[in-house]
Amino acid sequence: MNIYLPIAEMSVNVFVLFGMGAGVGFLSGMFGVGGGFLMTPLLIFYNIPPAVAVATEANQIVASSFSGALAHFRKATVDIKLGVMLLAGGIVGSAIGVAVFSSLRQAGQLDLIISILYVVFLGTIGSLMLIESLNAIRKNRNPETATPPEVPSQQSWVASLPFKMRFERSQLYLSVIPILVLGMLVGILASIMGVGGGFIMVPAMIYLLRVPTNVVIGTSLFQIMFVTMFTTIAQSAANQTVDIVLALILMVGGVIGAQFGAQAGQKLRGEQLRALLALIVLAVCVRLGWDLVSMPTELFSIGAGGGH
Amino acid sequence: MRILVAILTLLAFVQTAYGVEKADVQIGLSSETIEITSDFDGTDIVIFGSIEGGDRQLLEANGYDIVVALFGPREEVVVRRKERRLGIWINGDAMRFSDVPSSYSVATTKELAQIAAADDIKILQLGLDNINVVKEEGDDDDEKQTAFRESLARLKVSQSLFLERIGGVEFLSPTLFKAKLAVPANVPIGKHTAHAFLFREGKFLNAKFAEMQVRKIGFEQFTYELAHKNGLLYGIIAVLVAVATGWLASVVFGKD
Repeated sequence: MNIYLPIAEMSVNVFVLFGMGAGVGFLSGMFGVGGGFLMTPLLIFYNIPPAVAVATEANQIVASSFSGALAHFRKATVDIKLGVMLLAGGIVGSAIGVAVFSSLRQAGQLDLIISILYVVFLGTIGSLMLIESLNAIRKNRNPETATPPEVPSQQSWVASLPFKMRFERSQLYLSVIPILVLGMLVGILASIMGVGGGFIMVPAMIYLLRVPTNVVIGTSLFQIMFVTMFTTIAQSAANQTVDIVLALILMVGGVIGAQFGAQAGQKLRGEQLRALLALIVLAVCVRLGWDLVSMPTELFSIGAGGGH
Repeated sequence: MRILVAILTLLAFVQTAYGVEKADVQIGLSSETIEITSDFDGTDIVIFGSIEGGDRQLLEANGYDIVVALFGPREEVVVRRKERRLGIWINGDAMRFSDVPSSYSVATTKELAQIAAADDIKILQLGLDNINVVKEEGDDDDEKQTAFRESLARLKVSQSLFLERIGGVEFLSPTLFKAKLAVPANVPIGKHTAHAFLFREGKFLNAKFAEMQVRKIGFEQFTYELAHKNGLLYGIIAVLVAVATGWLASVVFGKD
């Protein structure tokens, strides 16, 4: 069954999109990841214009992070003060990102930059995940050689930065500079790549800011939810690239897929799953990378000429 | 567009002044508006027409030719060419064209070359090779311009926006004809103009225009217009829809 997308201005198969939303939702439920970094490339492979894919994906993440953040809010595993500081940086980052997005689009280089950013991020994260999960699998086979996990040293350059602030929930006394910078970085990624940015924020909060692990996920979801809300509104106002019909199909597919994914994830072995996800991420990365370096069958492209 | 009308009037005037022919053409469209709904997947538009005041014998011998063309709203287009830099294919040279018909569909009684002289065909902008597009400022050489111009047409063809149906005009009687033109799923929104051109033995005689509106209706129209006229409000609604979906999901599925 085909449905017309009013902003992308194209007719698409609703079941294909629903299936993509459910599939990525399944993976994100299983692994506890956002899924934006898989969904956006899939939409691009399905010929959705990259500008629409990125902005619409931010809208979808609002839905998935909202239900996640709500659950953490009820369990009181959100450091609201820390979340608000991350959010302040995130909004600045998102505003910068949307402005960069507009000018890249006008220069005709937006698609290229989106692809390059994806290749770099997916390549890095996929490789790290693969190495980590393979090591874990090996250790499980020979439990004698297992070494205790590395404890991050308490002395860090982050501790020496000025403008310190007290975060009671996390029991931290910390400079606001790395928090704002981290939030900003994630905001830029949200608007240019259409990702929540949890894959950067979560490790950075654990290893750099030393936030207790029980509040890390809730706090990052809190920030992601508000940053993607801001991004959705800013993209709509500046670029008119949020397709609400596309977003709704993906949201519904995503939340349903995530439920089954979460159930499946509890029954399966963690390391093998992470290795599998790493391989999926690397496959998407290779496909995008191949499209960049291989000689295109059509060298020419046309775009709207508005705006000199 | 205004230039085209002027040329047509002039050409028709020259013909009548010579007193050769008073044949005229009349057309009507099967629908004057095409409405895009959520299940819109392209359609056909039928253009009916008749030749009036033509020479009876010639009519019966199929001596008249008809070309029907449907032009989409004119737009400005940037054509970009990819080039390899540092091993990556990126958009390099670009050329800007204005006055490009966003879509173009043409049907004829026979090959254009057999209908009229090449110059007339070119002036009337008939056929994919003759669509008049205006290159904006810049002093690129002819060869490059041709390459970009041809690519523009080729890309429009590959997006089903430019179509040519040789023999697509069908005579129902010596004076009545119809042409079925395809309207693709991605047809541009706005005012489209159907033109019917009448030829007799290689000479252009007359032309008529009819207008057709393509518009989104109902939800599609509302969404599109809101997004483009009040993006801020549209964004807020998009966020509220997402929040509602997320909330609904946590009510339906979430216990923890």
